[in-house]
Amino acid sequence: MSSRRLFGLLALGAVLWAAAAPAAAQIRLPGKIGDAAQKAKDAAKILKFVRSSFGDITEEEEYYIGRSVAALILSRYPVLDRPAFTSYLNTLGNAVALSSDRPEIFAGWHFLALDTDEVNALAAPGGMVFVTKGLVLRCPDEDTLAMILAHEIGHVTAKHGLQSIKKSRLTEAFTTLGLQAAESFGPAELAQVTSIFEGVLSDIVEKLVVNGYDRKYEHEADALAVALGSARGYDPNGLLRFLQTMVGDATVVSGKGWFKTHPTPQDRLGKSKSEIGKLKVTPALEEVRTQRFKQILAALR
Amino acid sequence: MPRLRGPALAAAALAVVLWLAAADTLVVKVQTTPLRQAPQFFSPTVATLKVGDKLELLTAQGAWRQVKTAAGLSGWVHGSAAEVPKFTLVAMSGGTKTQATAQEAALAGKGFNKEIEQGYRAKHGEVSFVWVEKMLATTVPPALVEEFIKKGKLGEGRTRP
Repeated sequence: MSSRRLFGLLALGAVLWAAAAPAAAQIRLPGKIGDAAQKAKDAAKILKFVRSSFGDITEEEEYYIGRSVAALILSRYPVLDRPAFTSYLNTLGNAVALSSDRPEIFAGWHFLALDTDEVNALAAPGGMVFVTKGLVLRCPDEDTLAMILAHEIGHVTAKHGLQSIKKSRLTEAFTTLGLQAAESFGPAELAQVTSIFEGVLSDIVEKLVVNGYDRKYEHEADALAVALGSARGYDPNGLLRFLQTMVGDATVVSGKGWFKTHPTPQDRLGKSKSEIGKLKVTPALEEVRTQRFKQILAALR
Repeated sequence: MPRLRGPALAAAALAVVLWLAAADTLVVKVQTTPLRQAPQFFSPTVATLKVGDKLELLTAQGAWRQVKTAAGLSGWVHGSAAEVPKFTLVAMSGGTKTQATAQEAALAGKGFNKEIEQGYRAKHGEVSFVWVEKMLATTVPPALVEEFIKKGKLGEGRTRP
């Protein structure tokens, strides 16, 4: 650390310490703790201070939440078990994710297709992304599918799934987790935390599968898709091409699949066009990509 | 100006100071991440770092961090793979020690984990994890992604800051 930075730090620390001393005494940090019970109680207070919102969920916790959310999604949809397409989808998805804010995610990015005609895409926290066969077959080119994946990656990087967890449930979770002093859970604690975990999954799956995200989250994911898809080199107009196919579609009218949420395709088209207009450089569609996509699709039909 | 009173405000102030003091340390927050020779995704790997590994921050370049491992190896990690350890900082706020104890670290790491998933699975035998495991086992070699990008004329790509 440079001496200049150290001096500034000490000066700032001295000022803030004067204001903070009473609070530090109230928190009773571990260095001043006597017995084990008091230690656990104080550690819980610290954890409560450290963890208060969805942003405090660790990468590992997000991964474990995501695994179970993925299992629940897969209990509702059959898997499209085509190894060649799965490999293509994962290569494409990972190429796009490299341009995101979270190219490194706890257990890496993973993509899987669902064997249904429903037009849908879903992303579980932790980077497990699903697209339906119905959606893939609607894409005219690789750039369009890349933009759909970029939209779902955007939901994960912005932690929209985790933001679906009710605040009261999160508070309960952090408090309960913080109060356990032993290195592993006892039977009673395990039952309690498992019950909270079930609630967390329920909150997320309800948003993902039943009700859909709020309008602002869909628009944010579209904006992120435009930014990271184009950063990778994909034509962001692919998102517009897909949305255009959905205007007036029966799926949208019935409120199923990818359009069960409040913003209509028209609404999303307008806002996405505006986002694309802000780009300094707009990558163009490349025939080489469209050709390889068509070859992959031919094997899928 | 409002008076600086109350535990939350004071603790937050302390956290700022301690964050500045400990900003030279990073902890790996993903399962594994490559320590690379250069600040680029497809740069050769020097070593593979694991979750919880402590790193000394040497410098930053965009989204990349040049670091030194406990074993003395230097290289680059992406900023999304490592973070300033929050809990250690708060544990330091007692002013009497510089590291969290092992017990505190265990507490900090305790949360929704494998044990909780097992509890959930025991209760919900109808929810299958077979395809989740298959999905997570599907990995793409970096060289294949690099080739896919090149053949698709996708250029170098720009990492968002």
